[in-house]
Formats: sequence, C-alpha cells, structure tokens
Amino acid sequence: MLFRLTIRHSLCCLLLFIVQDASAQSQREAKWPFTPPQVASAPKTDSPWVRNGIDSFILARLHEAGLTPAPEATRQKLVRRLFLDLIGLPPSPEEVQRFLEDDSVHAYEDLVDRLLSDPRYGERWARLWLDLARYADTAGYEGDPDMPHAWRYRDYVIDAFNDDKPYDLFIKEQIAGDEFEEIMGAGELPGTPPERLVAMTFLRLAPFTEPRGDETRHEMLSEMTSTVGSVFLGLTVGCAKCHDHKYDDIPTKDFYRMKAFFSTVAMPPPEPGDGYQIGGSIPAAFYRQGEDNWADEQRARFRREIEDSGRQLTELKERLAKQVDGEEIDKVLKDDNDTRIAAGDRAEYHRLSDRPRLLRQQLKRLEPVAMSLRHSFGPPYEPGVPTSRVMIRGEYDNPGEVVEAGFLSCVTGNQEPAAIRLDPFKRWPTRSRRMALAEWIASPDNPLTARVIVNRLWHWHFGQGIVPTPSDFGQLSGGPSHPELLDWLALKLVDNNWSLKSIHRLIVTSATYRQTSLRDEEHASDVDPDNRLLWRFNRRRLEAEAVRDSVLAVSGRLNTEQYGLPIFPPLPDDLAERVKYSESKWDTQAGPEGRKRSLYIYQQRTLTMPFMQSFDALVCEESRPRRRHSVTPLQALAMYNGMFVSEEARHFAGRVRAEVGDDIQQQIARAFVIALARSPSTEESTELTALARESEAGLEGVCRVLLNSNEFVYVD
Amino acid sequence: MSTEHHPFVDRRRFLSTAFNGIGALAASDLLARETLGASPMIASSVADPLAVRVPHLPRKAKHCIFLFMQGGASQLDSFEYKPELNRFHGQPLPHIPAISGELQGRLSFPHVTIGSPFAFKQYGESGHWFSELYPHLAKHSDKLAMIRGIKTDNQNHGPSTLHVTTGSQFPGSPSVGSWVSYGLGSPNRDLPGYVVIQDPRGAPVNGAAVWANGYLPAAYQGTLLRSHGTPILNLSRPDGVSEAQQRREFDVLAMLNRQHQALRPDDSQLAARINAYELAFRMQTEAPELVDLSAETSATQQMYGLNDPDTAGFGRQCLLARRLVERGVRYTLLVHGVQIGRHSWDDHGDVEGGMKRHSREVDQPIGALLSDLEERGLLAETLVVWASEMGRTPFRNGAMGSKPGREHNSWNLVMWMAGGNVKAGASAGVTDDFGLRSVGEGIHIRDVHATILNLMGLDDDQLRYQHAGRLRQLTDIGGYVLDDIIS
Repeated sequence: MLFRLTIRHSLCCLLLFIVQDASAQSQREAKWPFTPPQVASAPKTDSPWVRNGIDSFILARLHEAGLTPAPEATRQKLVRRLFLDLIGLPPSPEEVQRFLEDDSVHAYEDLVDRLLSDPRYGERWARLWLDLARYADTAGYEGDPDMPHAWRYRDYVIDAFNDDKPYDLFIKEQIAGDEFEEIMGAGELPGTPPERLVAMTFLRLAPFTEPRGDETRHEMLSEMTSTVGSVFLGLTVGCAKCHDHKYDDIPTKDFYRMKAFFSTVAMPPPEPGDGYQIGGSIPAAFYRQGEDNWADEQRARFRREIEDSGRQLTELKERLAKQVDGEEIDKVLKDDNDTRIAAGDRAEYHRLSDRPRLLRQQLKRLEPVAMSLRHSFGPPYEPGVPTSRVMIRGEYDNPGEVVEAGFLSCVTGNQEPAAIRLDPFKRWPTRSRRMALAEWIASPDNPLTARVIVNRLWHWHFGQGIVPTPSDFGQLSGGPSHPELLDWLALKLVDNNWSLKSIHRLIVTSATYRQTSLRDEEHASDVDPDNRLLWRFNRRRLEAEAVRDSVLAVSGRLNTEQYGLPIFPPLPDDLAERVKYSESKWDTQAGPEGRKRSLYIYQQRTLTMPFMQSFDALVCEESRPRRRHSVTPLQALAMYNGMFVSEEARHFAGRVRAEVGDDIQQQIARAFVIALARSPSTEESTELTALARESEAGLEGVCRVLLNSNEFVYVD
Repeated sequence: MSTEHHPFVDRRRFLSTAFNGIGALAASDLLARETLGASPMIASSVADPLAVRVPHLPRKAKHCIFLFMQGGASQLDSFEYKPELNRFHGQPLPHIPAISGELQGRLSFPHVTIGSPFAFKQYGESGHWFSELYPHLAKHSDKLAMIRGIKTDNQNHGPSTLHVTTGSQFPGSPSVGSWVSYGLGSPNRDLPGYVVIQDPRGAPVNGAAVWANGYLPAAYQGTLLRSHGTPILNLSRPDGVSEAQQRREFDVLAMLNRQHQALRPDDSQLAARINAYELAFRMQTEAPELVDLSAETSATQQMYGLNDPDTAGFGRQCLLARRLVERGVRYTLLVHGVQIGRHSWDDHGDVEGGMKRHSREVDQPIGALLSDLEERGLLAETLVVWASEMGRTPFRNGAMGSKPGREHNSWNLVMWMAGGNVKAGASAGVTDDFGLRSVGEGIHIRDVHATILNLMGLDDDQLRYQHAGRLRQLTDIGGYVLDDIIS
C-alpha cells in the first residue's frame, strides 16, 4: 500500500506541478479572468437576425461552428417565457391576449419594460439572490434556533431588485453598510440608515451552532470571507482556508489577508433567553414606506390573538372540566389515552396552549431591529484592531504568520496591505476596513465583479452561464464559452451605472433569447450537444417557487400581498403532526396568509416543505449558485396526490366555471389558456371533454391533469 | 438545463428519440451495456436513470444494507478487546507516539484510561472478539469481516457522519447509496431503488444530507420510508379520487405529455417525467404492501424482537430491510440513533449504561437479519455493512463523576461487513494496545468506500460523474480496496 500511496501521491504532485507551472506562466502574462474586461465592439455583421450586440457575438461563434440560430419562438411561447422568466408567474389570459393583439413593432419591448417595472419582478429575482446569500430564517444545527429578524433582509433584497439599485451600491451596503459616511472631524460616530443595517444581515446568514468563543469567531469570519469571495468575486476563496488553493492562485495567506478586513466585526451578545444565538440584534427602525403602520397593526393583531387564545383556552378547559367531574383538567388533557376527551377537543387544547408562544415570536419579529453587525468601537471603549494571522490548517488555535488586510494577489499581483482610510483623528481605528474591501470589489476596475454578476443573470435567463460555474471563475470553471461577449456585457453594466435591469433588458430583447427551444437538429446537437453556443433556447423546468406560485395563480388563490413576516403554509398531515406538540416554529396558516408567494415561506433549516424539496428547493445551508432540475416519482406523487395541488385543482375548476359557465368545451378552452397560455388542439379538446363528461371528477379532473402536465412545469 | 452532462448525449439522444415511455427501459439498458465497457463513466439514461446496469466486476452482491449507528459507537466496548485498557484503568494513558496537536487541543483534559466494564470472548473459527453486549451478533462471528483502525477526517458528529455516509465531510456530496444506484440502477421499478429507514425516534445529524444525491441526479437520492402515516409521503390518492378515476386521469395525462413530447423528441427529461408518473402509480400499491408486516409469521416477528419494546424499533427496520432486499431494492440505509442525547451512541458520560442500552436495541435485530437472510438464501447476494461515524477514545471524557464516558475518536472507527463476496471471518487493519488508532499502514474511510463499491461490483475509479469542472468519485481522490476481506 505504501508503494501505491507513493504513486498516487506523485501523480497528485505532478498535477499540482502542472497547475503551478501554469500559474507561474500566468504571473508573466496575467490570465483570464484576472485581466480587466477588454473593450470589444460586437463583431460586424449584416445579418438581419441580429437585434443587439449580444446576437453579433453569438452569431459569430455559431458560424464558426458551422451552425445557424433557431427561428424565433411563437409569440404565444414568448409571452409565457417572459412572464415566467421575469416575474416567475404565468401570464393571465388577459395578458396573453393583450400581447397577441398588440401589433405595434415595439410590442415585445413594451412587454419587457412592463414586466421589469412590475413589482413581482423583484419577488422572483430576489429569490435567486437569496440562494446566493444562503438565506434562512433559522440557524440550523442543534435546536435550529429562530432568527426572528432575517426576513427584513429578504424584503431589502426585493426592494433592491425592484428599485434597480446600482449593483455596486448593493455590494457595499451588504458588506459595509455602516461605513459609508466619512468622518471629517472629531465628532460623533455617524449613525447608519436602517436600510443599510438591514443589508448587512447578508454577513450573518450562515448556519451556526451554539457559540464557543474564539473557535466560533474564527469560523464565522472565515465563512464571511468565503461567501463574499464566491458570491461577489466568483472565486472559491474558501478553499484556501486550510491550504493553498489547489487550482487557483489563492495562497492561504491571501485567505487570511482577506479575512483580516472582517477582523473588527462586532455584534451585541445574545439577549436573555437567546443563549443559542450567535449574537443579538441592532436597532434599525422600519424604514419602508408604510412599514411602521403595518408593524403597529400586526403587533396589535398578535396581542389580540394572544388574549383571544388565552380566553378560548380558559373557556375550553371550563367546558371540558365538567366532563371529568372536577379532576385536574390539564392533567386529563395531557394524557392522550384518556378517552373522556374527544380527539378534536384535545387537539384544540394543544393548539391553543401553544399559540401564545408562537405569537410572541411573531411579536419579536416585529421589533424594529436588524440581525446586523457593526465595527468594534475600538479603544478606549472596546478592543482595537487585532493582529491577524494565518491559521495553520484552518485551525482556530493554530496561529501562524502575521498578515495585514489586503486584496487577493491573483487580482492585484502583489500582497501589499490595503490602504484603509481612517478618520483624520484616528478616533475610530477599527472603522472602514470592510468598506475598503467593498470598494475594491465594487470598483469598475475589479476584473471579476461585473463579469460575475452579468454571468449570473445570463445563467438564470438561459439555464447555463457563459461561464458554466457561476460562483467559480477559477481554473475548474472550464472558462467562458463567449469571453468577448462576457466582457462586453460587463462593460455595459458599468457604463449603465451598474443597472441590472439594463442587462436583463439587453438579454431578453436579443434575438438569441427569442429563439425557439423546439429545434431538433441532429447536426447541431452533434457539434454542440450542450447547446453552449445557443443554437436554440434551453427549455427549463420551473423552479420550485414558480411551480407553487403558478399553481396558486392558476387557481386564482394566490395572495399577492408583498413583503412582511415569513409565512407558514400547511404541511402534509403527518409532518404537521410531528411538529405539532413539540417546540415547533411552524404556526400553520390555513388561510390566505399561507398562500403568498413562495419566497415568503419560512426558511427553516431543519424542515424544508416537502413540496418545495421535491422540486429541488432545499433551504440553503451555504451559498447556492444554481438549482437542480430533477425528475422523480416523488415529485409526481406530490403534484398529483399532494393536498396542495389537489385542493388548488378544485379551486381552478371553480374559477373556470365562474368565468365561462357550464359549457364543457368552453371550460376546457378556458382552462388551457389559464394554465398553458394557449388553446387546446382539437384532439386535446376531445379527450378532455370526454374526461370531464364521463368521469366522476368532471372538470376538476381536467384541471388536475393540466396542473400535472409536462407543459405546465416546463417553459419552452 | 443542467450544466452537468455525460459525454454520450448524442447516443442517448438517438435512443430517447427511438423509444418512449416504458420502452425507454430496454433502450437505456442497452445503452448502459454498450457504454460501460467502453468508457470510464456510466452513461445514466435521463429517461430511465434506474435502468439496471451491468457491473464492472463479477460480484455476488446485488443489494446492500448499510446499518448506521449514529453518535460514535464505542468499539472498545464492542469488538476491540484491549486488556491493556483495564490494566491502566484510572491511570493516565501511557505515551502513544504521535498523538496529534488536534487531539491535545480539542480534548485538553487529562487522558485518564478507562477499561471496558464488559467481558470479552472470542467466537467461532474466525476468533473475532465480541463483548458480552452482542450475544446474537457473536453467533455470526464466522460470517463477518472486521475492519479496524479506520480514520475519518473530522472529530465532530456532523462532518464525520457525512464523511462515512457520503465520502465527504462537507454537505453536498452524493451518499454511498446514491453512487451504488447510479452505478447499478435498480431491479425493482415499483419502489425507489434506494430506501432509507431512520430511527422511529427521529433523524440523524445532518438529516437528509446523509442520504442525499448531492451533485448526482435526484433519481439517486434515498427515499425516506416513513414510520408514521403512509410509508412514502403523498402516497394516498386525493380525497374523493378513486383508483379508476386516477387511472383515467393518468392516461389522459400521458396522452397530453406524449403529444407534447412528440414535438420535443430529444428532451429526455420529458420522457423521464412521463415514466415518473407511471412509477408513482405503481408505488401506490407496492409501498403499502411492503410495510405491512402482518404477512410475517409470529416466529419471524419474535426473532426480530418486535414483541419487545427495546428491540421493536430497530427490529422493524431490519425486517423491512429484508423485505426490501426480497423486492429487489438496491440499497437500504438503516439509521439507529438520533441526533443528540439519550438515543445517540454518543456516550460522553456513562458509557457503560449507554452501551448496554444501544447494543441491546440493535443486537437481536441484526442477528435476526443475518440469520433470516441466510435462511432465505439472500445473504450471498446481499452486502451487509455495520458502521458508526467514529469510534471512541480509550480515555475518559473530561471531569466526569462516577460514571465515565468516552470521547470522540476519528482514528479508530471499527466496522464489519458480511454477505456477498465478503471473506467470512477475515480482518483488516491493526490497532494499538489501547484501541486509540491504527498501527501500520492504516485504513482511511475512502478505502472502505472503495471496498464497498468493489463488493457491489463497481470500480471506484470508473464510477465517476462530471461535476464543477472535474470528474468526481465517491472517494474523491481514490481509495485502496481492502483485498484481505474479499473472497
């Protein structure tokens, strides 16, 4: 075995040698992606297919490979594609009709603009950002403690997308929201606007377990470093925590130089009763328009409900006490085997007993605070800037070489300390460190930042990035399929004041995006089986949120209320049973509250809603750059048998009846256009009419079939 | 569209256009036969990812039952007879060279040796040692191969549990069962190919990450067989929908889907979804029948300990495992023990009391499972693996009172295997006189994983999947097959 070990080891070394050799070369001629985006004008072409610069780049590569673009998708397909892509919901029949009847030459562009300014746009795209931010409402691990203020960050992200907040500002607010203002004299430490305090929740969203001193601090700051590295820079910086990066030029020392920007992070200690929390919260008033009033109303409501449930509980116990001849009623009720109490009464007793705890947690969520952090105040109040060191093998108690905060050398070409601009009196020596990092990341000169975000947008629109690994632009990424196009888009982003909507608009109005996905061409799939050159549009399965939201939109029962506290939709029966009498955090909402869009669902790290899980939306543990699109029988069971879809199918049928009356053919035509944005074919109409007429479930069966169809969960 | 692809899209594409629905099964079987020999990778058909595939190696095992003891079972009170422990009881652990800084740092209290309170005896011709806690298992001594001194890379439950069950200590990697399903498919198409039965008292550390498909397609994830309600979530038809009604709706649905697919013939995901509905339909009948233990004789039920509250829980899990094997399910993971606390093998305090309880809960059921499989002629085609996420230390945990416990020990996990081509009575690995760690070359968990794959007929170095820019495999960097325990 020793011999074999040696061979394997030397193979490994050989591989490393090759990589190192490559990196030595890269130092001589700095390589992609560490050189700034090159100004490239779109390739000249007189092809009438080309609508904007994107198409010139795409067409040039297609021609090189001997391929041609696909024809444009039908308008019927385009309207559904745009709706599901930009706002995550299917178009209503009226919206389909409006687009199909709009014969202006700008009809498509107008629809794009309408959708990009639709507040539902932010709800879809925030969810994708929340994946990157490893957003959750609980901390995970033992006990899975609630993080009652995380939801404010979710709303901040929705706003950021809807307001088209410049991406450079979005970055700076999340990394260093508290360090914007310059301090010119010896005055006060400036306050931080609440929105920016909420933005910094980003840094605190990692799962954590009960804090254990230095070890926890080391892990927490390391996680911030890794996540900031992969989300904003598209580099797996975290790989260098324990050893030099095996593939990219990121020495361990650089990891700790980057981590040193976070070395003065401070948080209030947990509040009494929150011993398992990693830290407390920071005051941050409600700042969104109308939010203060809304919060007051919610608080009043919850207080009322606490009183109500208390009173109902007393009444229930008084009533039941009579049934058991004055025995101690609580004792009787807690004994599940005591048959004198009806099952319904006992369940109600448990529910009412548990409600005040859940409602008090809701009240806590409504405190005007943020799960944020700040910089340490420094001497003489708090510790100053600590000495940062490499931690050997990533171990918190194994200090090595001293390092100073500095930027990644693979980008800058050196390991000089970063200039950190302190206030002139050096009154706050611990301040401005994170802002130094944020400004470096959010700079037009950073070769990675703009490329990484435009590639993410591309990935979400096309199902596949120009760089196929959106959070890893390193050697393992395989490189970009269209490097000039990526640079062109990155420069456009910066030119357009970091407006993400401007990039969305460019992408979705391109001829490339408008191609049909229905192209089956042997030659093209031989040459480019993965469609990296985009010789057609990629069909995709809807993500879990879009599946659930679409079902609700189609049934007419989607609660369109935006923002606010996490929601708790009903869980499958015995799952609800399992969490019912324990210290559950799930305060099931059977009413309209539980039918808001899926991004509002409480993200509990130990309990992903099975429906969402079966469509690959696990609650995040770590930053997640992309979703899987699996196909399993469990998904089929969830869609057909599951309580959620079967209930909504009933309402869908009700909606159809209300809209078109009793004529079966009209009902079927209407159901098609609601669910699939098209009319049925003659054959489809015949089959489904027969199903509606001849089977016991009638129209409801038709509706269930449509919701289960492939066409419903896939976008062409 | 996923960016993770097999290199056989063209051929797959050809086949999926040629066959639809049910026919795809035969097609992808053909596909697999064709590509397995020629390539280091398995071309899993998207249309039928669980089609049975021909293994790389001639092996008897067709099924695997993986018994996982959550918490870190004490090898020193089970299968490691170390008389030195009792000789040094209450004294500092004598110097053992090269205890790493990590151990000193993490467990910075005096290393006071504690002996095992249990009597040990050798059994059978193999001479394997068993403590008195395992009277039932000991009878099968000559069927077992023991592996000692297995190392994992992390001392904590979360990461080490993942390391043993998925080959990586970080979340996101496919579990062993996912790799086996990916490599071999599943003979039973009316049940999931990879089934998980967790302790009825709760979930293990990391929950579903322990049986996750990671970066492999979701068809290879473990399906939780639930102990309450319907055995699989959403298995009952919606209220008011009869079987005939459902069949009718499924037929219409299949018609719609086939028409939809006819215009998109190269999209195998659509064909896969058509198949998924048919599989789901059959599961509705098959799964309830599977969990109905009333068909078992009372002798069998008693043998598994179903009549005793201490053994009924794991007994039911073991009996279900046998029923799954009978039905051709490829891989079954049984978890005994829950996250933290009394029902975990994590005996930091009172290792004596804890080990008595845990071993009593599993010993009779495991003994019954081995006997039952053998009697039914299934043992030869079933690989049975027993593991925990780590072993425990020869020294006591911190300043405990009169009932000492043991600390985590990720240098000496002891596992055993039986069935299939396991060399009965064999051993691999040698540990020091205190059972702290291995001596000699040492065995890493990835070597064990390579061995499990080998015993299932799969070559770890050929069973790969393209992910994030490179070919991944269960052992990450490769492992050495433990030839000593393979017959």
